[in-house]
Amino acid sequence: MLIKPIGEDFRIIGYYLGRIFLVVAAASLLPMAWAVAGREWHPFASFVLMAGLFALLGVLGLRARPETDRLDWGHGMVVVALTWVIVPVIGAVPFALSGHWMNPLDAIFDALSGLSTTGLALVQDLDHLAPSLNFWRHLLHFLGGQGIIVAALSLFARGGGITLYHGEARDERILPSVTSTARFIWAVAALHLIVGVAALGLVAYLVLGFTPIRSLFHGLMIFFAGFDTGGFAPQSTSLGYYHSAIFEGATAVLMVAGAMSFGLHFALWRGPRRAIFANLETKTILSTFGFTMILTLVGLAVAGIYTSVAGLTRQGFFQVLSAHTGTGFATVPSVELAGWGGLAFGGMAIAMALGGMGSSTAGGVKALRVGITVKAITNQVKAVLLPERAVVGTSYYQSGRRNLTTELAQSAMTVSLLYVALFLLGAGIGIAYGVPLQDALFESVSAGASVGLSVGVTEAGMPVLLKMTYVFQMWAGRLEFVAIFALLGFLYAWARGK
Amino acid sequence: MRSLFTAFVFVGVVAAVPGIATAQDEALVPVEVLLAEAESFSGSTITIEGELVGDYGFRSDGTMWTQLNDDSYARDALVDGGPRTGGNTGVGIRMPDTLAEGLDAPGGYRLEGPLVRATGTWKYHDPDRGGESYLDVSSLEVVEVGRQLEEGPDWIVLVAGLAVLALSLGLWLTRRQRS
Repeated sequence: MLIKPIGEDFRIIGYYLGRIFLVVAAASLLPMAWAVAGREWHPFASFVLMAGLFALLGVLGLRARPETDRLDWGHGMVVVALTWVIVPVIGAVPFALSGHWMNPLDAIFDALSGLSTTGLALVQDLDHLAPSLNFWRHLLHFLGGQGIIVAALSLFARGGGITLYHGEARDERILPSVTSTARFIWAVAALHLIVGVAALGLVAYLVLGFTPIRSLFHGLMIFFAGFDTGGFAPQSTSLGYYHSAIFEGATAVLMVAGAMSFGLHFALWRGPRRAIFANLETKTILSTFGFTMILTLVGLAVAGIYTSVAGLTRQGFFQVLSAHTGTGFATVPSVELAGWGGLAFGGMAIAMALGGMGSSTAGGVKALRVGITVKAITNQVKAVLLPERAVVGTSYYQSGRRNLTTELAQSAMTVSLLYVALFLLGAGIGIAYGVPLQDALFESVSAGASVGLSVGVTEAGMPVLLKMTYVFQMWAGRLEFVAIFALLGFLYAWARGK
Repeated sequence: MRSLFTAFVFVGVVAAVPGIATAQDEALVPVEVLLAEAESFSGSTITIEGELVGDYGFRSDGTMWTQLNDDSYARDALVDGGPRTGGNTGVGIRMPDTLAEGLDAPGGYRLEGPLVRATGTWKYHDPDRGGESYLDVSSLEVVEVGRQLEEGPDWIVLVAGLAVLALSLGLWLTRRQRS
C-alpha cells in the first residue's frame, strides 16, 4: 500500500531545500560583484532579484522546522531532484531579463544546460553578452559539476548527507565521512582552479596576445567549462575562437582531469599510483577512448575531410576527447560537424554516449558501468562455453578486489539501458519534427549524456516540445534517473496514497 | 574639354553596364554561405563583411587574429533594440598586424566593433595550421567605425530584487528571534 506523504515529510524536504537555496543565494553574490566591478547595472539588477528569490526560498524552507533533521533515502532523493528543477528556473532569471534569450523557456534551457554541464545553448548574440552574465553561465557549470549538494554538504552536514550525496549521481565515498569527501572534492576543484586559470590565462596572454584582463577572463571561463566538462564558451565559435593548438592542449588536460573520478584524483594524490591502471574503470575508459578515436579518424580519413595528417589528428583528437569527456567544446563549426557521417559520426556518437568516469563531472553511461556490463556478459559467455566444472572468476579490480555480484551487474545494465532509452526518446521526437535521423540521434545523445556538441539542431527556433525533451534529457541524464524516479514516486504517493 | 569628354564616356559606360559597378559586391561572400560551402571556397580570394568582435590577438609572428561576425547584430545591435535573429555567424580572420593599426576596439558588451570589409584567401583546413579554417586577410577596409552603446539599469527589476532581499532578511531575523 502506498503511504501518502504527511506534513512532516514536506517539512523535512522544505528544510533541506531551504539550506541548499541559501548556499546558491550566497554563490549568486559572485556574478553580482562582477557586475558591480564592470559597472554592468542592467545585469546587476537581475542578479539582485535572483539572489533575493533564492534567499527568500531558503528562509521559507528553514521556517519549515521539521521535528527531526535526519533525511531518509526517499526524502534525500526528492530534495536532489527538486533542487535540480528549482535552481535552473530561478537561475534563469538574469538570462530571461537580459534580452539575449527569446523567452523564459530558452533561458531555463540554458541555465539547466549550464548546471548539468551539458553546454547546449540557445543564447542569442553571445558575442555581445555582458561579461557578468557570461560569468554566471560558466559558474553554473562549476556549481553543477562540483555539485550544489556537495557544496551544501561541505558547509553543513547533519543526518542524511549520504543520501543527498548519492542523489546527485555520486557513489564514491573517498574519505570516511561524506562531509570530508565533499570537502575533498572542493579542494581538488580549488587546486585545479588556481593552476588551470593561471595556465590558460598565461597562454592567452603570451601566445594568443590578448590583453591581461581578457586573458584572465578567457582563462576563468574556459577553466569552468573545461574542468567541469561543461562546454559553454565565452565566444560563439567555441574553442575554435582561439586558433591555437597550445590553448587546445591546455584545455584538453583540464577536460581529462574533469572526466576523472574524484577517487582517481585521490589515488593520484595519495597513491599508490600504479594501482590506478589496474582499475577496471581506467582500463575501460582507455579502451573505449582508443576505439572511438580510431573509428572517428578512419571515418574522417575515408571521407577525405582532412587532407593532412596534422589536421586529421588534431581536429579528430580534440573533437573525440571533447565528446568522450562530455565537455562539448568544438574547434569546428556545427555546420561542419554535421557533415561528419559514417564511421566518424559513429565514433563521436559512441564516445558521447559512453562518457567519462563515475563520480566525476562528466555525463553519459560512465566507464565503470560499461566495464561491469562487458565483464558480466563475458563471464556469462565463458560459463556457457567452458565445461560445467570450470570456475569462472566473478571479481574485478577497482581500488581493491571486488565481487561482481548479480545485483551489481543488473544495476549497471539497467542504468545503461535507461540511457539508451533516453537517447532514443530525444532522437524519436527529433525525427518526428523532421530532423534527419543522424542529426536527431547526435543531438539527443549530446543532450542526454550532458555533452553539448551540436550539429545545429539546437537553436532558438526549434520546436517547443523538442526543447522540453532536451531539458528533460539533461535533467535525467545528469541525475542518472534514481532521484527522478524517487520524485515521481513521491508525487504519485501524494496523489494516490492513503 | 578632352578630360570632361572622357569623364562623360566613363560615367556612361558604368551606367550602361551595371555589372561593372557591382563587380566588388559580387565578390562579397556572406559568412553563412562561406561556412555552409567552406570547401568550395578553399584557396579562393574572397571578400567578407562584418563586425570585428571579441579580442585582437597580436601574436609574436607579426599577425593579428580576431573574429568577424556577419549577422544582424553586426549592423543592428540587440542593446539598441535590434531584433533577435538567433546565434552569431562568424569566422576567424588573420591579418598582418600592420593592417590592424588604428582599428576601434572589437565588439562586445555595450560595444559595437568596427564594421569592416576584409579581402583575403580562404584557408580551409589549412595543413600548416593543424586543419584550422580562417580567412588570411590581405586588405582591410573600415566600412563603419565602432561605437559605444548604452544600457542603463532596469529600475523596476532592481527595486523588486531589493524588496525580495529585504523580505528574506526580515523573515530570517524574525526566525532567529523566535528560536
